[in-house]
Amino acid sequence: MTAGHGAPGTSALGPPLGEPIAVTPKGDSWDRVRDDLATLGSAIVHARLSDLETHLPSGDGLRALLGRDWTRYLDLTHADVRHRYAASRMLLKYAAGAVLDGDPDELELAYGPTGRPYLRGCDQIDISLSHTDDLLLVGLTTRGLIGVDAERADRDMYDSGLGRHICTPYELVLLAGMAPEERNQGLVRLWTLKEAYSKAIGQGMQFRFTEFGFGPDGRPVRVQRPDGTEGTGDEWLFRTVVLDGGHDSGYFVSAAVYDAGFGPLWDTHITTMLDQDCVEAVTEALDRVDTGEHPAGDQGGAMWSPS
Amino acid sequence: MGIASLEGFLTLVCDELGLDCVGAEAASADLADLPGWDSLNLLRLVVLLEEHGRPVPVHRLLQARTLQEIYTFAKE
Repeated sequence: MTAGHGAPGTSALGPPLGEPIAVTPKGDSWDRVRDDLATLGSAIVHARLSDLETHLPSGDGLRALLGRDWTRYLDLTHADVRHRYAASRMLLKYAAGAVLDGDPDELELAYGPTGRPYLRGCDQIDISLSHTDDLLLVGLTTRGLIGVDAERADRDMYDSGLGRHICTPYELVLLAGMAPEERNQGLVRLWTLKEAYSKAIGQGMQFRFTEFGFGPDGRPVRVQRPDGTEGTGDEWLFRTVVLDGGHDSGYFVSAAVYDAGFGPLWDTHITTMLDQDCVEAVTEALDRVDTGEHPAGDQGGAMWSPS
Repeated sequence: MGIASLEGFLTLVCDELGLDCVGAEAASADLADLPGWDSLNLLRLVVLLEEHGRPVPVHRLLQARTLQEIYTFAKE
């Protein structure tokens, strides 16, 4: 479902973003996720915390799943926060494992200087994570960069005076021109778009949300300057959908994808993530060792000895 | 109760943002470890501090890791 009445964001470089796909760790939706990634270059998956908790391993199993996040997990003192932290990492690793055809426990989640997550050694896949309430959301793309965000559609924002801390002058005018009953959801939509975009570029709220904006729904969505003029082109594509939340309002879910223009990546299997030239060089060197031949430039094999 | 004291500040945050953040432990807890905390709450806190005559810019609050630190910024 597209938020409002318009078409999703489109990109001249590739196909649009697909619908978020509901998944569970042992469910049968993962083929759709792989299909979306193969055909659209991106996939968005979502799950309910309550559904994932029953699949969470404990003890050594959880430690293996969390990997380097285990220490951070132990630092969290509140049970609810811990569960959400573990469940979100599990969803992310299962999603990545599904599209990479790898063991989720073997995938290593790492973080950049700004806290942006990435899969260590698998840089052809970019990832993003979001959660709110009972909803967990993961975005995956082979096109370049991705950011995702979710928020309850009925979260009180407009009447709380948050608009002037979130919106550009142009967006404030647009919101003021909407029917009063539509303004809050209009602001929630803008918030999720800005969160998704700022996550994709690794800035978070350090990039002031009043310094960039988005136009109304119902037309291709682009990043805009504060005065409403276009700030980016077709290399960015956006989509906002409303997911059923099990309550009246549902959730706004937005995704931002930067298309680096590399074209589709047909094979995302984890073993093909290795650079082919590097693999050939290592293979050649190992063959030389097997045959007793010293690698070129090596004087007596010291290069291969522990120092 | 206003934000003249840390206790008053925590009570205000607890009431207005609907967070479980009463007590000294909540004041020193990492914000990410507070149940219900998210980036939108940070903005709501900006508005709340403005309303109480203690404006703190968003970029300043982004540097805070705990409610205690936010309270310190608000008192400066």
